[in-house]
Amino acid sequence: MGTLSVRGITKKYGSLTAIDHLDFDVHDGEFFVILGPSGAGKTTTLKSVAGLVDMEEGSVAVNGIDLTMVEPYHRNIAMAFESYALYPNKTVRQNLASPLKSGRTGHYSADEIEQRILTVTKTLGIDQLLDRFPREVSNGQRQRTALGRVLIRPADIYLLDEPLSHLDAKLRATMRAELKAIAQNSNTTTIYVTHDYQEALALADRIAVLRHGKFVQIGTPVEIWREPIDSFVAKSLGQPEINLIDAVVANGRITALAGAIDIPKPDGLSEGKVRLGLRPSELVPGVQVPGHVQIKGTVRISERLGRDIELEVSVGDGHLIVVTDSSKAVAERDDVVLSIDVPQIHVFAGGDPGQDTARLGSAQQISPVTKEVEQ
Amino acid sequence: MAKELMPGQKRVTTGGILGDLALVGWFAFSLFPVLWMFLLALKTPAEQTTTFFQFSPTLDNFITVLTDRGRTLTGVDFKSAILLSVLNCAGAVLVSLVIGIPAAYAAGRFKFKGSDSLMFNILSFRFAPELMVIIPVFVIFNRIGLFDTPVGMIWVLQLVTMPLVVWILRSYFQDMPEELEQAALLDGYTRKRAFLMVALPLVRPGIAASALLSFIFAWNNYMFPLILTNAGSITVTITKFLGGGGQAYYNLTAAAGVLGALPPFILALTIQRYLVQGLSFGAVKG
Repeated sequence: MGTLSVRGITKKYGSLTAIDHLDFDVHDGEFFVILGPSGAGKTTTLKSVAGLVDMEEGSVAVNGIDLTMVEPYHRNIAMAFESYALYPNKTVRQNLASPLKSGRTGHYSADEIEQRILTVTKTLGIDQLLDRFPREVSNGQRQRTALGRVLIRPADIYLLDEPLSHLDAKLRATMRAELKAIAQNSNTTTIYVTHDYQEALALADRIAVLRHGKFVQIGTPVEIWREPIDSFVAKSLGQPEINLIDAVVANGRITALAGAIDIPKPDGLSEGKVRLGLRPSELVPGVQVPGHVQIKGTVRISERLGRDIELEVSVGDGHLIVVTDSSKAVAERDDVVLSIDVPQIHVFAGGDPGQDTARLGSAQQISPVTKEVEQ
Repeated sequence: MAKELMPGQKRVTTGGILGDLALVGWFAFSLFPVLWMFLLALKTPAEQTTTFFQFSPTLDNFITVLTDRGRTLTGVDFKSAILLSVLNCAGAVLVSLVIGIPAAYAAGRFKFKGSDSLMFNILSFRFAPELMVIIPVFVIFNRIGLFDTPVGMIWVLQLVTMPLVVWILRSYFQDMPEELEQAALLDGYTRKRAFLMVALPLVRPGIAASALLSFIFAWNNYMFPLILTNAGSITVTITKFLGGGGQAYYNLTAAAGVLGALPPFILALTIQRYLVQGLSFGAVKG
């Protein structure tokens, strides 16, 4: 158990700044997820907290004690590496026993060690592999061993670097649920790094979205999903990605897709170019809900992805991606009406394609903070 | 249509056969001097200058070289020389490993000011000709009484072996993923224990390879023992059978040569199994 507070940590590799003045706090028992694309600086952030990289600037404190100059082995922090980093000359059992035998995580009798190994390996489903060497087990099993080497020991903070990335889809879902249960029961402070938004949404108490070594937004999963701070965060969550379409605000209305979308502008939105964000799962085909915005279009492509169906719908001079369940299937080349609730239409500042712009609010309400910035 | 090959089977082509034959020819050509030495070592003094392969083989030469008989005949104490050589070379390798392994680890893991020029400096011991330094070393050895002592020999031979150990092992340490040691640090082990527990066992093939190679280099060194000892070493002692103005015992020289090649050969066979082990055993994602 531990409270982590990180201030202004900066790490450069040559001329490249991996992380740039990051500030964050993780509360006692919190499950904190860092979400970002590869190269964003996620692993460097974890290693800075663990004391494995020499930072240019910044401080790391646990439970109010400054650990910046403290050696990693005195920090009482455990980490699962994305590369597993299992000791190749030791069996799975010896790998798992390693943190318990160092004398710095507590003192354990041989029986206690064996008992802990059995408990953790049963949970992770690798109890039949104890006497094998890392080279003799699959990637998924190696990854679970690496995770086990963390979970087996007490620590102030667990750092997990993409700990489920090499498991197959079914096992990943099981392990995700298992991890959540472990985190809730043990009440251990955890920092979890991933590029998978579903893992982030499922596990996190709070999510920090990292981009180019800086946090773009930190918030609860609901906040991040409902009110992404900019189009980058909006695109980071959801597969397929959010539809971003150029729109014009004029004469009290927002129009886009050659007039296929034409809605009244919310108060506080100034005239000019904006971008609208519509999540594929919020666009409902074929059902006309009163009060929702209706968008007319033609289905161009319909792909069945198991339970869900992904539609590409031509609308005006562009297209929208829609995800729906198979009960609302629409044949290709058929006309369709998409409806979406007004608060679900995100409004972002206008910008060039590929450029990420700030979220101003929804089509119903411009957020007050942004309004101030805009004026 | 080419015939389908079974796994492990290779396609036979004319070019391939010709290439193999050429390699066999080269093999025979390059090993011929060694064969000649073996044959010569088995010949009697009367046959030693003949070039025929027909002779009555005898092990007499080996017995002569290794016993007092050779000593009275030629004045060469081969047995003591070979033992002393083993001692000197093993000592030099041991010193090189004790100092060279930590040096290689530091050089492979940490970048510090002047680390590159330091490594280059160590390497320069290898490519600078020994003749360049032999006179000053000779003078120094005479002054401080290291001339013709085992300590003196070990000291100069480790000039030959140390660069090899450091350079070979440095690349092993560099190839080893740093995250293995980082994991050990977070498991609660100090840097020293992480090195002993994780890094050292993994570079065992490298230690074996560099120890073998540096032993051979020290064993084959001629210049240092020639100038810096009287007690002799294997390389210098073998040449003494050629008489230096007196009678040349070619057959005894050959027998001594065969015996002199044995220690590195035995060493190579002993540590061969460590040489073939892979480095990371697939414990880290590739």
